[in-house]
Amino acid sequence: MSMDSPVTARIAALQQAGSALALLQATQELASCADARAAPVLVEVLGFNNPGAAVAAVEGLICLGTAAVDALLQLDPENYGARAWAVRALAGIGDVRGLELLLDALGSDVAASVRRAAAKGLGQLQLAELPPDQQQDVQRQCLGALLAATSDGEWVVRYAVAVGLELLAAGLPAEGPERQLAQQGLLTLQEAADGTPPVVQRRAKLALSRLELQ
Amino acid sequence: MADADASHPQAGEPISEQEALHRLRQSEDSSQQYYGAWWLGRMRSQHPEAVPLLQQALRQRRPRDSGAGVEENAVARNAARALGKLAPAAQAAIPDLLDTLQDADDGLREAAARALGQLAASEAIEALCERLASGPAVAGAQQANSPRLVEPCEALLEALGDIGVNEPRVLAVVKPFIAHERPLIRSAAARTLLQLSGEARWGELLVDLLDHPQLQVRRAALMDLGAAGWRPGFKAIAATLAENSLKLMALRGLVEQGSGDPGDEALLACMDALL
Repeated sequence: MSMDSPVTARIAALQQAGSALALLQATQELASCADARAAPVLVEVLGFNNPGAAVAAVEGLICLGTAAVDALLQLDPENYGARAWAVRALAGIGDVRGLELLLDALGSDVAASVRRAAAKGLGQLQLAELPPDQQQDVQRQCLGALLAATSDGEWVVRYAVAVGLELLAAGLPAEGPERQLAQQGLLTLQEAADGTPPVVQRRAKLALSRLELQ
Repeated sequence: MADADASHPQAGEPISEQEALHRLRQSEDSSQQYYGAWWLGRMRSQHPEAVPLLQQALRQRRPRDSGAGVEENAVARNAARALGKLAPAAQAAIPDLLDTLQDADDGLREAAARALGQLAASEAIEALCERLASGPAVAGAQQANSPRLVEPCEALLEALGDIGVNEPRVLAVVKPFIAHERPLIRSAAARTLLQLSGEARWGELLVDLLDHPQLQVRRAALMDLGAAGWRPGFKAIAATLAENSLKLMALRGLVEQGSGDPGDEALLACMDALL
């Protein structure tokens, strides 16, 4: 009951949670205290095979932002289930230290839900604090990965690629070649190719119309 | 390399369209026919022999050699499912599917009903209604020694919605199932009534089911709102306690099947937030 550190009490409560429901509630409590000391414990929850608790932990980690990134990157790459949730958290945080993991996830993860989160995440990395040449380098890597994923087999990933390309293109110089390539990728998604559902076409069309108004 | 083995792929290897047709055409090994029928549907085969062979497989409804590892009627069931997937190219099979709808095997009736729905076969309306006409207490009663219902109500109801002919006799048959004891049947009935009439009360009923304590019911209500494209349900869909993958599928249905308010931009923004 110490007043100075509710987070330590909540960490202790989470570590003693004896049921799936108790774990969920304890995770929600811990996630809501916005204290960086919660990060490693929330990352641990990602590996507990409790989807409800993992959702709460991801939300908490995204709220912590850059303070959660170190803990997320220390995750055991062999822990597949936890890694999928970590991709979502890193995509939401947008810290450039997550770049490698997001590129890898979009290109090779077996789960469409992970690839879709990575695609959106690659469009919303926060680059403002990087020197200009590094910004360009990161943008090129994101663009290359998103363009490659315009032919992903799952519609929902192609949908997320349209979202990622719009977000990425909005930060690129209007007359530069990268911006043109991003818009070309969106044009591909907008076309009524075999197996491309209308929802993907409409999302790509919306992205293009917004970029043209910019 | 080009020896006789090339036409006999090992178990687990991908097969060609020719191989799938060959497996369905032979009649010695029913497990091979089973896989061949599935393959043609899964790959949306456009081969001119695909539909006739599947029709033939559908007509071979009889107990099969249980030693072959395929239960009776499993080939016919897969053939019916494949014909549904090959819609609209499988129109010629509608009479065979109508016959199958009278089969004693309720699992086969289920597969036939779904295929007729996918084929939007208005010829099937009367037979589907007849199967359901005795209502939740008879057609919707549980079988004596199985958890299955007397009629495959979910498939029959959904087929009527997919066919989409809004007539008083159809609505009269479907409505009593809104009070079925099983929430999945209530969900199917509400979906069909929503598809046929567009009345908001059926959409609201599905939105209520999004709060059901069982995840399985919440998932079904999501899929049913998506199939009906009921746009006013979009916020409730986004807030449902279920996987984002399913919510995205449901919202895709609202974008593609629905119309009116909210417009595309609000729906797409809702989807973006779930990625």
